[in-house]
Amino acid sequence: MAERIDRTLIHHVAQLSSLSLSDAEADTLTHELAAIVKYVGELETLDTSNVPPTASVLLERAAWRADEVQQGLSHEDALSQAPRVSAGGFAVPPFVDSGSGGGQ
Amino acid sequence: MSLASLGVVELAEKVRRGEVKAVEVAEATLAAIDARDPALNAFLAVARDEVLAQGNAIDAKRARGEALGVLAGVPVALKDALCTRGVKTTAGSKILEGYVPPYDATVVARLRAADALLPGKTNMDEFAMGSSNENSAYGPAKNPWDVTRTPGGSSGGSAVAVAARMTAASLGSDTGGSIRQPASLSGVVGVKPTYGRVSRFGLIAFASSLDQIGPFANDVRGAARVLSVIAGKDPKDATSLDAPVPDLERACGGSVKGLRIGVPEEYFATGLDPEVEAAVRAAIRALEQDGCVVKPVKLPHTRFAVATYYVIATAEASSNLARFDGVRYGLRVERSRDLKEMYGATRDAGFGAEVKRRILLGTFVLSAGYYDAYYLKAQKVRTLLCRDFEQAFQEVDVIASPTSPTAAFALGEKVSDPLAMYLNDVYTLPASLAGIPSMSIPCAMTATGLPIGIQLTAPALAEERLFAVASAWEARSGMRGKMPAIAS
Repeated sequence: MAERIDRTLIHHVAQLSSLSLSDAEADTLTHELAAIVKYVGELETLDTSNVPPTASVLLERAAWRADEVQQGLSHEDALSQAPRVSAGGFAVPPFVDSGSGGGQ
Repeated sequence: MSLASLGVVELAEKVRRGEVKAVEVAEATLAAIDARDPALNAFLAVARDEVLAQGNAIDAKRARGEALGVLAGVPVALKDALCTRGVKTTAGSKILEGYVPPYDATVVARLRAADALLPGKTNMDEFAMGSSNENSAYGPAKNPWDVTRTPGGSSGGSAVAVAARMTAASLGSDTGGSIRQPASLSGVVGVKPTYGRVSRFGLIAFASSLDQIGPFANDVRGAARVLSVIAGKDPKDATSLDAPVPDLERACGGSVKGLRIGVPEEYFATGLDPEVEAAVRAAIRALEQDGCVVKPVKLPHTRFAVATYYVIATAEASSNLARFDGVRYGLRVERSRDLKEMYGATRDAGFGAEVKRRILLGTFVLSAGYYDAYYLKAQKVRTLLCRDFEQAFQEVDVIASPTSPTAAFALGEKVSDPLAMYLNDVYTLPASLAGIPSMSIPCAMTATGLPIGIQLTAPALAEERLFAVASAWEARSGMRGKMPAIAS
């Protein structure tokens, strides 16, 4: 598992994480993550071929509740902390790549 | 002795009997915060008007002859990861600067219903990621026993609020030791309950298979009372357990005769400060004199806990923190041309270095080509760590160990070496990964006057055993009531 953690990989992972890193940040993180991943590699020394994974340690299966409409946050409360609101909704920059008009 | 330095139970009794007004406790709490917090930085927000109004409301309730709750007039500080309606909540991050939640976390609602006073929000490592409070975007909280040292983290501010006797109790959250380690380093009682014991509705999530809310208090019985109030099933959190909540206060002071205490040699290994080792071993010998049966146990996979934790916790964090994108709440960087650029710029400006480090590590271990080698592997090792405890608890009732390998270290000492900081959590991580209850209580003081904690760990839902052993130790340790000079 001695993966090579280099700047290309860090930039790829940063893109997956929606983080725009500066070059200086990417350099520091490359070194730090390389050391951490190397340390984590010690798990490889354990034989786990017949061991099932543990995803949750919850003692009982989470119960379903009845599928009934319940009072949640009001529309006003839900929008109260938004950086930008427009027409009763969350306003965001354009996200559709279009030459004429674009999304809003 | 000032009102602020009383224990939870004594204070609630005085208020219920009418010897003290709740509003007087609120005023004394604000005075203690004003006097001490400028040197300690434990509070990120003080809810001045709100806590006075709460005090007056409790006094009015009493005047009307209504029964008061079991935390009547007890000030409880809240880690800033807990949502409080109308009081700003940042999780120690710039990305949530100025965020005012439109709802209360369930634990906050339960404290209100028990007539507690809620004077403010406490400092923490950003999104609970850290062991020294130095990852807070608002500067670190300081250890009241020596302000050049860390109080521990991530719930550092909550530990300091209690250690410096600004509040009788507080709430923190523990993902890998974030209640127990600061309790140990700051000299107070801190409890991480069984996974699922306490509702997490309204807790800003870090790693959902590990996060658990628990109390800090200046004595064992106080922690028991606060935990009794916040524990129990909550329809708003599907992972909260339907198990009955035992009478934890009754467990305090009970006999520990014949109780089997396991001592894991793996927790007394390289890296443990000799002074800490001597203090913890002396406490275990003392419990033996109280009638406990002490025997060695093996937890052979302990040394893999740090690596396992940092894969699983970061993977979960990378998913949980995806919600901070500048759309629905918090910071937004406006100069962006399109949505994707806005996400990237907002998250880069809003998150601190440790949070970015963990998001990247978590995304890496989950990404195509690496998932099996890292994430799935860590989940399998987690099974081995759980089995270690299952086997040990066939032979003993409670496991005793140090909480942290050293007493409080200096601010700045480990900040430039993330891996060294992670290794600091080696004794608290295994119980988190296994989802079992564990608590830290004051054990002794070092020669230089810093607190040392002892950690007690029990099987799932056996919190009563922890409180029985903890109160037996507290009764003979002479540590109850010990407080730093700044508090007296």
